[in-house]
Amino acid sequence: MADLGAESPERLAAFEARIAAGEKIEPGDWMPEAYRHQLVRMISQHAHSEVVGMLPEGAWIPRAPSLRRKLILLAKVQDEAGHGQYLYHAAETLGVHRDELIAALLEGRAKYSSVFNYPPLTWADVGMIGWLVDGAAIKNQVMLAQCSYGPYSRAMVRICAEETFHHKQGKEMVLTYARGTAHQRAMAQDALDRWWWPSLMMLGPHDSDSPNTPQLVRWGVKTKTNDQVRQEFVDEHAPELLEVGLEVPDPELRFDPADGHWHHGPIDWDEFWAVVRGDGPLNAERLEARRRAFEEGRWVREAIAAHAARREATA
Amino acid sequence: MSAAPGRPSGDGPRWEVFKQDAAGKPHQAVGSVHAADAEHALLMARSVHARRPAAVSLWVAPADAVLSVTAEQLAAAGDEGAAPAHGDTEGAPQRYLVFRKSSHRRAITFVDHVGEVTAVGPWAALRAAIVAFPEPPALAWWIVPSERVSASPDYEAAAWFEPARAKTYKQQSAYGTTAPTRRRRQG
Repeated sequence: MADLGAESPERLAAFEARIAAGEKIEPGDWMPEAYRHQLVRMISQHAHSEVVGMLPEGAWIPRAPSLRRKLILLAKVQDEAGHGQYLYHAAETLGVHRDELIAALLEGRAKYSSVFNYPPLTWADVGMIGWLVDGAAIKNQVMLAQCSYGPYSRAMVRICAEETFHHKQGKEMVLTYARGTAHQRAMAQDALDRWWWPSLMMLGPHDSDSPNTPQLVRWGVKTKTNDQVRQEFVDEHAPELLEVGLEVPDPELRFDPADGHWHHGPIDWDEFWAVVRGDGPLNAERLEARRRAFEEGRWVREAIAAHAARREATA
Repeated sequence: MSAAPGRPSGDGPRWEVFKQDAAGKPHQAVGSVHAADAEHALLMARSVHARRPAAVSLWVAPADAVLSVTAEQLAAAGDEGAAPAHGDTEGAPQRYLVFRKSSHRRAITFVDHVGEVTAVGPWAALRAAIVAFPEPPALAWWIVPSERVSASPDYEAAAWFEPARAKTYKQQSAYGTTAPTRRRRQG
């Protein structure tokens, strides 16, 4: 098979013309090294976020208040595990191996979504995570479903189809509390007070602090900027939260009839960067839980490999 | 070129997974799993790729058994790719499953199973497939030796795939919370 060739202005122009024409780039097609590198970075961070994202909610499975809620939460956490698998698959089509990516996570060299370093303190938090955290994730993932790289796009289409139920079940739970007793309303408000800002932050730094964005948009990896996706999230969720009688913890939040958008106050980026750097409330605990799970699964992996080897030897 | 790096890992080598949604529909590439052997790969595929309807059958094949070629790669290979001996060592004829993708439309799956050819090697099989399945023009081809493909057992189909249908709480339609505003206006 002919070498598809090194980078040149002509190759780059042909590649960008394919993307401009709406074509998907598939494994084996020529791509600039920077495109491949950015995709591996984004997809692996996304995969890690799905896997670490199982931890906050997984802790609540034994304490779910009803069998129905337990079934729902089990299915949701199982979905997050599956979504991590779809995404590691997409990353592997770019020539990296899942083992390398997981090693980077366990050794603290990889990033994952900052929002999972906050603690869910009450059952109302589980609902608020579904409504806001999954709501924010879906806005991002609907955008990424348009991605120019085929395997990432397909993983996103599938994940979006599955995650709409995560968003709905959380919203249903919060609405039940918001319309419930005074104590339940207070729990919903408390959860909103703690999850609103982390949900806004999880959509990433301001466009002005996101140096990769212009190139990612040019190459169709992202089709919107962080601030555009954040605006979509606020426009959908702020009025619905207010509608059910909850108070959004942002004194500057207001609707501007002139532009039709809800405008939020300043985000505490110092907090965001501190959590990204590893100084969030639960960064150390999250990584420790992943390392423990990896070690506790070691004998299973070894047993499966030994069984397969013996079967092959006796076949 | 193989579809993916297939080197063994702590979780075993990589297996491509193909899912069939209903009888009469093609098996479609949905992603991959890591597993120690074919039986393990099918169990992993069931957990990862058939948590929801619809599925009636799964196939798995080792990723390093897949010849994956895009239209762009074929064009770049030109005459070289068309040469009778290109890419193959001589061997006895064997059956190859042919998969192809023919649209850039938004999709949840990659290549679809379209049929099979008999050839002395995967490149010869690809050339035969291009002749046998010309329309619509393919954007990507996968050629997989039939003997490397393992299928989910028919007698397990009900146990593997039916329970997902009853889990309606995994569907967004099970939740009546579309928009508080809309509900109030309707009420």
